[in-house]
Amino acid sequence: MGIKDVFKSASKPVREIDSERLVDRFAELRLQPLSELEARDRTKVCGEVKRMTIKPRSGIPSTEIVINDGTGDATVIFSGRRHVAGIEHGHCIVIEGVAFADANRLVFLNPAYSLLPMGEG
Amino acid sequence: MPTQTGSKGLKRLFIGNPIATSEDHHQRISKKVALPVFASDAISSTAYATEEILIVFLSLGAVGMAAYSMLVPISLIVVALLIIVVMSYRQTIFAYPSGGGSYVVSKENLGEYPGLVAGGSLLIDYVLTVCVSVAGGTAAIISAFNGLAPHRVQICVGFVLLMMLANLRGLKESAMLFAPPTYIYIVSLITLIVVGLYRVFVQHLPPIEHTGEAEHLLKMQGSVTIFYFLKAFSSGAVALTGVEAVSNGVPAFKKPESKNASTTLIWMAVILGSCFFGLSVLAQHLEPVKDHEGIIPNTVLAQLAEQVYGGRNIFFFITQFATFAILILAANTAYADFPRLMSIIAKDNYLPRQFMNRGDRLVFSNGVIFLSVASIALLIAFGGLINALIPLYAVGVFTGFTLSQAGMCVHHYKHREKSWKLHIAINGIGSVTTMFVAGIVVTVKFVDGAWIPAVLIPTLMIGFKGVHRHYTRVRSFLTPTEGYQAPFKTHTVVVLVGSVNQGVLQAVRYAQSLRPDKLIALSVIEQSDDRARLQEQWDKFGLSIELDTIVSEYRDLTEPILNRINEIDNMYNDDLITVIIPEFVTSIRSQWLHNQSALAIKARLLFRPNTVVTSVPIVIP
Repeated sequence: MGIKDVFKSASKPVREIDSERLVDRFAELRLQPLSELEARDRTKVCGEVKRMTIKPRSGIPSTEIVINDGTGDATVIFSGRRHVAGIEHGHCIVIEGVAFADANRLVFLNPAYSLLPMGEG
Repeated sequence: MPTQTGSKGLKRLFIGNPIATSEDHHQRISKKVALPVFASDAISSTAYATEEILIVFLSLGAVGMAAYSMLVPISLIVVALLIIVVMSYRQTIFAYPSGGGSYVVSKENLGEYPGLVAGGSLLIDYVLTVCVSVAGGTAAIISAFNGLAPHRVQICVGFVLLMMLANLRGLKESAMLFAPPTYIYIVSLITLIVVGLYRVFVQHLPPIEHTGEAEHLLKMQGSVTIFYFLKAFSSGAVALTGVEAVSNGVPAFKKPESKNASTTLIWMAVILGSCFFGLSVLAQHLEPVKDHEGIIPNTVLAQLAEQVYGGRNIFFFITQFATFAILILAANTAYADFPRLMSIIAKDNYLPRQFMNRGDRLVFSNGVIFLSVASIALLIAFGGLINALIPLYAVGVFTGFTLSQAGMCVHHYKHREKSWKLHIAINGIGSVTTMFVAGIVVTVKFVDGAWIPAVLIPTLMIGFKGVHRHYTRVRSFLTPTEGYQAPFKTHTVVVLVGSVNQGVLQAVRYAQSLRPDKLIALSVIEQSDDRARLQEQWDKFGLSIELDTIVSEYRDLTEPILNRINEIDNMYNDDLITVIIPEFVTSIRSQWLHNQSALAIKARLLFRPNTVVTSVPIVIP
């Protein structure tokens, strides 16, 4: 067992704690868990914004976010926008649309989204 | 010229200015100088060998007066052993004019494992040479000034530290230093023996009168068993330690090296043998007493000198100080040999490479420090008493002798020079005898401490092999095959960003200059407001690279960064990730205020494969 493995096992609990927290939070919505998400299905999922990337590509900027619902994660891209109203770290959103597979991730391109109120499930 | 500051200046103060490699020259020494340089170790053992024999009989065997009748027979056997060993080593000197230590001879002729056994036992032996000699020197001082007895261990440790410092400065084989004490010791010892024998046989000097513990020991009526006889013999055999020093240092002699070295060896043997024998005869008649726990503070040599010179006069003190000086020099011989042997073993990849490096003053500093630490540990553990250390001592010496002689036999057989059969016979006898002695030592003193080297030598061997395996593996892994070309890898650069400042801007510019396949800035934020603020700044300075933000729900910085790097790593199959960390460099006083988290991240990324960590420094004057 290398030092990396030690680090890995030590990092696990925090992730699990976070996953449990998110699963609890989204349980009432009864939406499709992200772990069961498949490409090219019309679906409705939800998750908390975990990462935001603003790509200032000359001409066409885009905002890329990663959401996580405790079971898995998905990427959402809003093209042509440097700012998406209501999308911020820690906010929870519901996404409705079709995902496509890109490399080893599932991506929603400009889907319909709705915000969940803060602090509630 | 800027002056040296801080720890560097302190080092200069103690160690001295560095010496250029090109200034390293080996001075050739004459026989008169070589004798003190190489023989101090061997001759110094006369200071405690007789005493050790007596301790076994009087204190451990409790045989009382019978002990003195055994002294001369045992010393005769030891002298015979000495002659055999010296005859054997004389041949080594001629066969290996470039210096034939036990390690070299056994490795070359007998193979890897015997060589390692010899190397390991010699290393242990040098540590013990330091311990025993320093303990002996301290005992000589304590005999002269009995009041120092409670501080025995502290004095020993102090001397080792002094010697470490002196050797880090580099005083190896400095003739001016070695010659006077050795000759003074030899002269004072011979004077003591001659005057003593004259007073005993002509003036009928009576034996020393004893009181207290010593008187009690003499009243014992035990019988001399073969076990105690062998035990006493193996204690007396320590007189032979250091005999191999001359054969190690042949290249240091003036031409013709081998001939001069062998003459020196013979001189040494004659002095050692006659002094040891003379002391034993004197002790037989004057009946000095010593116990194994150090209750009797005076050494046997001190008791003899006091009786022969009729009290604690100038001659007594000269004898004590000469004894002290030669024992310290003997310890110093180990300081010259131990680091050198370690470097030879390290060169063969059996010890960490650090022992190969020479320090500022052209000495193998790491070996010197290692030897000092090991000796201090042993001295403290055994309370600075010679006789507690002696059982550990002889094992290594005789193992080394045995392997070296056996190696010489093989050498003669391979080369078959003139009268090789005679040479094989001499070395064969030497090898068998010393092996026999090593066996006796381990058997009769196993419980007293001989088990320590018996366990330590195999352990060292396993260690040597482990180090060797590792180095071999690394080398075979790193050696490029024919036509090897370094693969191209997808290069991702991640710049870690806290806020937008000059350091970050410089780091981003630097990252762009690397022209990677993918370049992102990564920031861990605590609250969503922070992101907006950072993004605003990001746009204000017109930074054209994408900005990744992750929220750390649990306020931890390193974990989210590592997770993100793992994610990026998973995107491509063969990629190289460069993590760029902007760092502030301030003065030594305030540096600790910065970069603590950077340090943590670096530590975590150190063992990550395919990851380069780069610090972009911004110097704040």
